[in-house]
Amino acid sequence: MPRLESLLKSNQPIRAIMNAHSKALRTFAGRVRRLFLLRAGIQAATVWFFIWGTVMLAAKMAGEHQTDWFALGLLGIVPLVFFAASRIRRRLPSFESLRAQYDRTNFCGGVVMAEEIADMTAWQKNLPAADVPKLRWNSGRPMLLFSISALFAATAILLPERFARFSNHKSLEIGQIVQQLQAEVKTLAQEKILDDKKADDLQKQLSQVQKDATSNDPAKTWEALDHVKEADSDAAKQAAEEAISKTTAIAQAETLAQAMAQADDSGMSDANATEAAQDLAQMLASAKLEEGVLNAQIPPELLANLNGLNKEQLQKLLKALEFNKNSLGLTVSNLAGLKLIDAATLAKCLNAGLCTNGCDELAAYLCNCTNANAMAMCMKLGKGGPGGGGPPAPLTWNDGASEKDLKFQEHALPPASRLDQAQLVGVSRAAPQLSDAEIDAQHGALDNAAGSGGSAHLQVILPEHRQAVQKFFEREGN
Amino acid sequence: MADTILKPEELQPATELARKTLEQLDRILLGRKELHRLVLIGIFSRGHVLLEGLPGLGKTALVRTIGQILKLDFKRIQFTPDLMPGDVLGTHILQETSSGKRELVFQPGPVFTNILLADEINRASPKTQSAMLETMQENSVTLLGTTRPLPQPFFVLASQNPIELEGTYPLPEAQLDRFLFRLLFDNVDAGVLDQIISERRRGELPAPTWQMERAELEMLFATMGKIYLPRPVSRYIARLISATHLGAAEATEPVNKYVSYGASPRAAIAIAEAARAHALLAGRPSVGFEDVKVVAQPVLNHRLILNYQARFDKMNASKLVAGLLAQLDETGLNLPKDVEVAAA
Repeated sequence: MPRLESLLKSNQPIRAIMNAHSKALRTFAGRVRRLFLLRAGIQAATVWFFIWGTVMLAAKMAGEHQTDWFALGLLGIVPLVFFAASRIRRRLPSFESLRAQYDRTNFCGGVVMAEEIADMTAWQKNLPAADVPKLRWNSGRPMLLFSISALFAATAILLPERFARFSNHKSLEIGQIVQQLQAEVKTLAQEKILDDKKADDLQKQLSQVQKDATSNDPAKTWEALDHVKEADSDAAKQAAEEAISKTTAIAQAETLAQAMAQADDSGMSDANATEAAQDLAQMLASAKLEEGVLNAQIPPELLANLNGLNKEQLQKLLKALEFNKNSLGLTVSNLAGLKLIDAATLAKCLNAGLCTNGCDELAAYLCNCTNANAMAMCMKLGKGGPGGGGPPAPLTWNDGASEKDLKFQEHALPPASRLDQAQLVGVSRAAPQLSDAEIDAQHGALDNAAGSGGSAHLQVILPEHRQAVQKFFEREGN
Repeated sequence: MADTILKPEELQPATELARKTLEQLDRILLGRKELHRLVLIGIFSRGHVLLEGLPGLGKTALVRTIGQILKLDFKRIQFTPDLMPGDVLGTHILQETSSGKRELVFQPGPVFTNILLADEINRASPKTQSAMLETMQENSVTLLGTTRPLPQPFFVLASQNPIELEGTYPLPEAQLDRFLFRLLFDNVDAGVLDQIISERRRGELPAPTWQMERAELEMLFATMGKIYLPRPVSRYIARLISATHLGAAEATEPVNKYVSYGASPRAAIAIAEAARAHALLAGRPSVGFEDVKVVAQPVLNHRLILNYQARFDKMNASKLVAGLLAQLDETGLNLPKDVEVAAA
């Protein structure tokens, strides 16, 4: 059965001279061909838009950033045209069928169909007027689908990547870390190390980080958490240093005040008492206890009358100093409990300003010293005094040192100097690039172990693995 | 397929003869013009027609009038249960010749005519009904080993009463299939009845003012044989017949539900011939789809064998055929469902 396109080109089947019906029939056949082309094109475009949009969405969800989707979509027109053409080729009705349809629609009673075998010009006058049959395409559903698919493709192009990822949201489990950081911030706020506004900001920041945390971009989350952690640590370290400084000053002042109290009972001269009182006042003034984040509080009436304190007032001062020292110690202990400061710093703070020789010698000195300047020099030297340090002992190297009954004070190892000096220069998912010197320094004895059949393995913990590693080491039994 | 197409001047005489015949028929018998047209189409197609209707509706008058107009011999047989095949076909009678010998001489029955009116054909026994099979299909009678051709043309116009079923023998499918058309006689409207009463005293029919000569009838038959049947139309007929069969590709849902046996190939031939006759009456040299649609109903309505479900659902063959004609795409364009072709 001849196909429409070839017939239209060859003019073979239309034997009759060109008349009105032949023209109308050609027009009808052309319309059918165009309608089929349009219809197949719409269908193919609908399918293509759906495929294109789906691929775009999938790629955006997968994190593909730099693809020219519009160009790819235009490239898809090429197979689209081939697809539509193949469909047309298969489905286009034969010219014989179209002629039969024309005959039926125009009520020609088979006369137009008879043109297939004979010249029907003589019968033209008996036929009704030639009218090109109308083609009606109920295009509602196809056009609706086409519109939807086009809209889908456009949406897929214009959709911001964050929305595409939202649909692929995978939460990052950071609840434990956030909880710990929130506890730190809360403690720092309670200890007045952080002001309320700063603490609120950090708490909000933590909540937001926990809410936005996705496994698609864990580095961003870890960076934010590190930022909070760093803010907490900086504040804690600053407070610890301040606490050490103030504790030292308070302890010295306390020692001096105790010595003054004892010397007063033992008959300290007025000149010495005045000199000691001035030193005490200068010591407390230079300590600036009321300044900083850990402000100690000495009753103002005592501070105003430091040069003329009686015995009762001196006792009050001693209690106030002890209270402030204990308060600072408690604060620092809390910080150490949250691991915001290390054990060494804690110990340093707790032992700051302790007088190893006691204050008896200082009290005796205050009683016996007749040279105020010498006393002032002595006070400035810090602890101890003349005669301190115990009797001279002979030095021997023959006997080994006995460790019997010895107790060793535990000290937490200070963090490596490398970490102290570390700076965040960026976040990368790849393994950090280390120079050979750094690898040597890290591996120690395992370095260059390849000759013995093994080799040191550089295990880098990526940011997204940190929590898993942390959980592993926090298991019971470890 | 005809090699050539009739020219207008070749077709026109035959068409005029057919139209004159129809005019005479319409003039003599009032009303039922479409029925007259179909009966004439049946005759021009050389087919047999089964007329079904109540008594007194003019079945006999129609057949008699056709015989008069066509100047053909006309005989009538009143079928009864005791009618024997010999009463229809003829019989051999023992006669003495002039030489004194005795021999069986064939005495032709009433079937030896041009137009045979088989009145109330379903009242005869199956044996007698079967005697009509050869005559209707082969146009011949075989008795005692001798086949005798019937005079040409030969038409059987049978009638049957659809309401008096007691003491009747329904026509077997083989015989029904030999009828080209089954036409239903329905009542005429009051205006026609008034015209009959006022113009036809005692129901007497007027004589035809024009009669067709035998040569003219032969010429008409010859011309009808040259009517061109285009391939798309013949394919449509074939698809239509095929669609009447249970489980066919284009069978409609009612067909699959109600039809036990579809139409035979004889039905396809009948439609093609009847469509040619219809085209001739319309003055066209070729058959169109509309010709097929006009004749499909009377050709098929007695050829579909329905199941019991159809009786329960009051479904008949006419409704099934009407549904088929409405649903089947004539041209076989196989356009997509959302594309339609409409007249300008």
